[in-house]
Amino acid sequence: MNDSPAQVVTPLAGPHPAAAGGPGFVLRAQDVHKTYWMGRVRVPVLRGVSLDVQRGEFVAILGASGSGKSTLLHLLGGLDRVDRGKGRVEYRGRDLSTLSSGEQDGYRSRAVGFVFQFYHLLPELSVLENVLVAAMVRWGRWGYRSRRAELRARAGDLLGAFGLGHRLTHRPGELSGGERQRVAIARALVNGPDVLLADEPTGNLDRKTGGEILDVMLGHRAEQRGTLVMVTHDPEVAAKADRIVRLLDGKVVGAAGAA
Amino acid sequence: MYQSLLNRRYLTSKVMPLLAASAVMLCTAMVLVVWSVMGGFLSMLLVSGRALIGDVTITWPTSGFSYYDDLATRLEADPMVEAASPTIETFGLISLPDGRRDGVMIKGVDGPSYNRVTGYADTLWWRPLDRPLRKDAKRQDPRLEARDADLLRRLYEGGLVLREIERGSDREKGPLGRRPAIVTGIEVTGFNYRAPEGYYLPARRRFAKADGSDEFVGGFMPTQSLTLTVLPLNQRGGAIDVVARKLPVANEFRSGLYEIDRKTVLIELGELQRMLRMDAARGLAGGIDRYAIERRDSQPAGAGEASGGTEFFPEPRTTGDQPARITTLLVKAKPGFSPDQLSRRCEEIYATFAAAHAGEVPPAEAMRTGGQIATWEARHADMIAAVKKETGLVLFLLGFISLTAVFLILAIFWAMVSEKTRDIGVLRAIGAGRAGVAWLWLRYGLAIGVIGTIGGGALAYAVVLNINSIHEWMGRALGFQIWDPKVYYFTDIPSKVDLDKAVIVLLGGVLFSVAGALWPAVRAARMDPVRSLRFE
Repeated sequence: MNDSPAQVVTPLAGPHPAAAGGPGFVLRAQDVHKTYWMGRVRVPVLRGVSLDVQRGEFVAILGASGSGKSTLLHLLGGLDRVDRGKGRVEYRGRDLSTLSSGEQDGYRSRAVGFVFQFYHLLPELSVLENVLVAAMVRWGRWGYRSRRAELRARAGDLLGAFGLGHRLTHRPGELSGGERQRVAIARALVNGPDVLLADEPTGNLDRKTGGEILDVMLGHRAEQRGTLVMVTHDPEVAAKADRIVRLLDGKVVGAAGAA
Repeated sequence: MYQSLLNRRYLTSKVMPLLAASAVMLCTAMVLVVWSVMGGFLSMLLVSGRALIGDVTITWPTSGFSYYDDLATRLEADPMVEAASPTIETFGLISLPDGRRDGVMIKGVDGPSYNRVTGYADTLWWRPLDRPLRKDAKRQDPRLEARDADLLRRLYEGGLVLREIERGSDREKGPLGRRPAIVTGIEVTGFNYRAPEGYYLPARRRFAKADGSDEFVGGFMPTQSLTLTVLPLNQRGGAIDVVARKLPVANEFRSGLYEIDRKTVLIELGELQRMLRMDAARGLAGGIDRYAIERRDSQPAGAGEASGGTEFFPEPRTTGDQPARITTLLVKAKPGFSPDQLSRRCEEIYATFAAAHAGEVPPAEAMRTGGQIATWEARHADMIAAVKKETGLVLFLLGFISLTAVFLILAIFWAMVSEKTRDIGVLRAIGAGRAGVAWLWLRYGLAIGVIGTIGGGALAYAVVLNINSIHEWMGRALGFQIWDPKVYYFTDIPSKVDLDKAVIVLLGGVLFSVAGALWPAVRAARMDPVRSLRFE
């Protein structure tokens, strides 16, 4: 069950629209609304947010707690859906809401990679297994088995590049916060996603370690010319982005290039 | 793929799955052990019953039927029949050395043919043994004594032909020159103590006499004599008189069926026929009989009295020979033929036999419609059906109890899914689908089921193999006895591991585990990934 490689529909895997003369964005949110219910209370989180993310761009979404920045990230990453009929999120020109459940799973495993504030590593797995589990999901049983050596090498290379080559068999409980976050970044990158979606990746780390983590992500982005969308409430972190999108009470209140 | 990795890790890093597997293991083992014991009980009942009386019995109770030698010859000439043996079954009393009188089933048998039908020789207890019983590691069985080997051999031979055992002085007479004897069930006299290792030790018992003194009686019963009392019946079922006879004990037998070993006495067929007036006789009419003489002494002169006061007895007139009778003919099928097949064949053979002796033996129609030609199973159908129903009922109840394992697994899995909510969110975030997450937990339930049932199967096998040792240990250490042979027929707890049944139970255990995991798996699959990631 679910051991076949995660499905990705043709438009997601096809040529980039920019290459075909289309718009140069990878991700686009158009007038997105998202509402949650707290019991019987309706809580509007996003109220008509629009955002374009160009290929290779580093976009920082800056906002206070509760401004809706993580919700926007979840919508961009296909973890959640916009309110019915109220806006759309597109990846390479295709509306994510039109994707089937399996196609959405494929989108999350191939097109995007998530990095969370609290790392969210699986505590029973070793460092290497935590990275490989994303590849297992991506390729399924037989696909993974046929590429096992290649995938293990890639995971090992990533972890080695992040300074964790000597920690492959360790459990997350044996790592520091910074190390855990580097494992989480390796997990997000192991399938070579188009877009890295980071939700306050330095928020749970001290300034020095947070800076190192940021350097890791930016270094990788520069190397791979990848796209990075990062949610943060730290203006200093946001300042390193190509563009900053400010959210306040579920609305974009300003967008500007970094200083 | 990730499911297999996570299942392995969950299984080895948590206590709860071990608890769930233990629950499955215990439930599986419980059902398997009970089914094995009940199945063994039923199987042993059928096998023992067949061993005692053969595959088919042809019976005409009370008055019996004649010309049984002819019937046995006709049967044994049939390719379906291995052997046939004439017997008489009647109730009587046995008088024991300590003054007790006990009601017993007295069975007159022809030793050699009875052995061919039932394997009777194997049940004779007192005989030389080369190897000790399985549990008799200390070789304390008296039958192993080399110095008693000759006596035991003579007991065995005497038991086979139901004749008094050979002594030095009567060796030249041969067995038929010796007195008829009886062979009692090993539990009949109560003078045999059964050791936990399975052998018997003859025991003596203090007996208080009427004059106030006492003496020790009992001990080794073969070589002693016991009195049997029977009540002969005429052909109409009326009592004739009471016959008591003191007979030597040639041996004792143990069938393994407690009720048989406790209540059955075997006697040489001819002797029982004589006691019951069922032996061959010449019919006389108009002659002297004891009752007529008694009447003449007390009543006025009648038709037979000569004038002038001289007594006159007419010459008896021969009316015909009355052949010897038996009540039951035991028949054993040749290998490859079922008791039912043999039963039908016996009905056909009896029909030709009855036609040849029309008017002298019970008619074939009466035999057939009265169910007098029947397999042991058919004759005891009610008891066997009761045991089968009891087995079904017990299994149903245990199966129902085993449902608790389903709820236990459900509860454990529910808790684990709750504990792993954030992991589920992570898996969804990296692209795992709902079906994949559901399979993760179902597969986990499957793994626990497989581990639990394999453990349960192994545990059940170990228990069933050693069930009597465990039972004896419980008796010694804890002082209680679950299996009372007086209630359950057999002196040992029977058991039979049936592969088909074991597979059903093992598959049931796995199915129960997966069923227990089903709801939590669905719950895990339906979790909202965003909420799961925020779960604390």
